[in-house]
Amino acid sequence: MNAIEITNLSKTYKGKKFSTVEALKNLNLTVGQGEIFGFLGPNGAGKSTTIKALVGLIAPTAGSATVMGVDISSHEARRHVGYLPENPAFYDYLTAEEYLAFVGKVFHLPESLLREQSERVLKLLELWEARKRPIRGYSKGMVQRVGLAQVLIHDPDVYILDEPMSGLDPVGRALVKDIMLELKARGKCVFFSTHITADVETVCDRVGIILKGELKSVEHVDKIMTEGVLGYNLRIRTRNQPELVERYVAKEDLEMVMQKLFTAGDEISLIEPSRKSLEDFFLDIVKGKIC
Amino acid sequence: MFNIMSITLKGIFRDRVFHGILVVAFILPLIPVISTLSMRQVTELSITLSLSLISFILLLLAVFLGGTALWKDIERRYTYSVLSLPITRSSYLLGRFFGNALFMLITATLLGCVAAVVVWLVASGSPPDRQVVWMNFFLAVFFDAMKYILLVAVAVLFSTVSSSFFLPIFGTISAFLVGSSSQQVYDYVNSQPAQTLSLLTRKTASSLYYVLPNFSAFDLKVNAIYGLPLSLKGLFLTVVYGLVYGGIVLALSSVIFAKKEMK
Repeated sequence: MNAIEITNLSKTYKGKKFSTVEALKNLNLTVGQGEIFGFLGPNGAGKSTTIKALVGLIAPTAGSATVMGVDISSHEARRHVGYLPENPAFYDYLTAEEYLAFVGKVFHLPESLLREQSERVLKLLELWEARKRPIRGYSKGMVQRVGLAQVLIHDPDVYILDEPMSGLDPVGRALVKDIMLELKARGKCVFFSTHITADVETVCDRVGIILKGELKSVEHVDKIMTEGVLGYNLRIRTRNQPELVERYVAKEDLEMVMQKLFTAGDEISLIEPSRKSLEDFFLDIVKGKIC
Repeated sequence: MFNIMSITLKGIFRDRVFHGILVVAFILPLIPVISTLSMRQVTELSITLSLSLISFILLLLAVFLGGTALWKDIERRYTYSVLSLPITRSSYLLGRFFGNALFMLITATLLGCVAAVVVWLVASGSPPDRQVVWMNFFLAVFFDAMKYILLVAVAVLFSTVSSSFFLPIFGTISAFLVGSSSQQVYDYVNSQPAQTLSLLTRKTASSLYYVLPNFSAFDLKVNAIYGLPLSLKGLFLTVVYGLVYGGIVLALSSVIFAKKEMK
């Protein structure tokens, strides 16, 4: 069973002066269990609309979707989901500990497990010291951490995270990436939206690129990285010159150049692929160079 | 729903608006002094002032806490995190409403008890011609609480319709003013002198009477002040009216809120 299955999902909003805005057009996508899926797109592309439809905050105009086999129109689908909204806000008169207790009770966690899980996630996200302070006194990064804590507390099968790294410092970002990888190792599905291609490169198995409500591409990150090799930078020490020399060789010329160098008795100390980054791939799609 | 109710109660107790409104309750202990201004009906005046003060505090709570309960959640984006949990929109809405309703009942009970002590002190010092009927006094407080709980239901309905601050607050105030006088207007348009009014005016007034809440039935102040007998049938019908009207308003609110897009 796929963790997330989206079939022909569309969303149309009423705009100003009787106009309509197609926020999402026939989106088809499946995300498996144990997979980290990055959802990339510029502002207003439809990332948050997709996510909000998945968690029941908006109703799709057409199409359907399931989470762990349960249709998203049922609130029971959300029993399998941990959702982190973009720029999250929580009842700020509650403390982090109280908010987690509230979420745990909604998910019917037994009291002892709730206490145990609450302590674990608060410590993991470095909120333990601040757990008895009202959320209204937290910094933006701390609120983001509360968001992650309430996602983790009930150990769902599917994690839907809207811009999870937003507002976090480099240490926090690294922590979130580690958490994602740990979840993947435990067979959980992580579906997250981001603007930051580097985050996708580091942790994702697959990436989907959405533009103006249309899903333009779904690719394995490994494949993009492999196929994106344009050439190689070689570091060479020739027989005549003791200093190292750097030389760029096109991908198709590598074999021939290496053969020549070996024949000449030159020494190659480094072969470094020069690749197109995920950002280049993303920008090519945004600029319409790849359809 | 009980989880939502529980955090609603916590939120109210920690709300600065509630703390502000609570300050008004400190006027209660001053009532014995103020009541002496009436030379003849000291106890009656103390009952009038106590019930009016309780009514005023409950009105403020209904408008400012009931009217902003949903609006604040939407405005501050709390709904994104709460409504994405496995709870239905109806249970969220009802949890918010019943949290407020329970709080109104607790407040009315506490204020009613303090007011009873105040009235008892006044009555001990200046015995009234007619004995204070405590049952009437407490029923007046209870029915007042019911009236404002109904007003909270109306406030919740306005909150589901509009995302702005104005309709829940000013709509609730308007509903209170109209609901408090709709019975008199209805009685007037059906009286002989009102037959000179156009048929459209009379029909509109009659229609509004049935659509808008009728709060006058919940007003038992006169019975409490003068110890007048209460009609059991009248009380029963008022309770049924409150439950049915409140039920319809909440059902309508649930339907509207279920369709609301959290963009």
